[in-house]
Amino acid sequence: MTEIDPAIPLRARSGDEKAFIEIVEFYYPRCLRFARNMLGSEQDAEEAVQDAFTRVYDSFPRFREDARFDPWLFRILANRCRTSMARIRRHRAMIEYGDLPIMAAAAVPEEDFGADWAEEVRVVLESLPAEQREAFLLRHVEDLSYEDIAAVTGAGLSALRMRVKRACDALRIRLDKVER
Amino acid sequence: MIVDERDELIERAARSLAGLPPVNPVAVMHIMSAVRARRAQRPSLVAQFAGWMRVPSLSMASASMLAAATLVIGFVSGGAFNGAASSVARVTGARGAMPLVQVADVPAESRAVAVPMVFDAASAHTVSIVGDFNGWDPTTTPMQRFGADGPWTATVLAKPGRHLYALMVDGVLTVDPRAPKANDKDYGGDASVLMVTKP
Repeated sequence: MTEIDPAIPLRARSGDEKAFIEIVEFYYPRCLRFARNMLGSEQDAEEAVQDAFTRVYDSFPRFREDARFDPWLFRILANRCRTSMARIRRHRAMIEYGDLPIMAAAAVPEEDFGADWAEEVRVVLESLPAEQREAFLLRHVEDLSYEDIAAVTGAGLSALRMRVKRACDALRIRLDKVER
Repeated sequence: MIVDERDELIERAARSLAGLPPVNPVAVMHIMSAVRARRAQRPSLVAQFAGWMRVPSLSMASASMLAAATLVIGFVSGGAFNGAASSVARVTGARGAMPLVQVADVPAESRAVAVPMVFDAASAHTVSIVGDFNGWDPTTTPMQRFGADGPWTATVLAKPGRHLYALMVDGVLTVDPRAPKANDKDYGGDASVLMVTKP
């Protein structure tokens, strides 16, 4: 079961705390998986997920009765992840200017494939532009339809298909090399 | 038309990213603490109305609209809303002297911040937080146990700055093992230190 009983978000919206706990417990694993894959850091991901749920609570009055909960929740979470990525980028830029040798030592060379196949997938994922990574994860890991991804990201269907295709192409090129 | 191909390689890649982490009870508890604190800080409808009444340009319009709405409701319900009408009258009568303060009106440096607190004491029966933010009153901030034998949790509201506090565990004052300690003359012994940053 990947989607919650639609009555539960409506109960939470009207102030039922037990229903809100049910939502958090139901979606926490999926939200953490998405945030972890987006941000590449456990700590940042946990922070983003906790903040996203607090925003869900704040925004409940704007949740429409006839709307589906999954895309609405993922829209809030994806926005929170984008904010987090911008903060991480700013932080990295500061470190690069202030402490270059450490960052240089930590950088992974382009052709240095790790032994772990899953780790390779993560390396490729992190190298993708954020929009492509987001679209790929929502489509192929979170199993959302393109219509739902459009509701999450606000992008058009053909743009989303292109983002997913480009992400898949990048993964194929890199992973084909690992396979050989 | 772009075809959404999910070949064997992409399938494997997606699978390697699809592992679901378990539900983390402490994270759930933190989320709920933050949500409860937000609810506590959210102004009630009466407080919101009092806030509108403080804005001169809105006060007359708001009062007229509410009076009209009350009259209509009272007429339709045959007097069932008499209680509501009288409570509104009390609010409007107290205009100007009302101590209700909207969160947005308070400057960041003096705005209380909700801080979730966690304490492990498996064998304790009652735990509460005492500190300078609640007048060292053990009845103000009781902690709730999370689950049958989980940690004790509570949310305190404290203004940005340095605060001293302790835990009252089954009636005995105890320092928080997770926090730095400070000797406090007024308190008469070691207390725990809580640093609250601006929201």
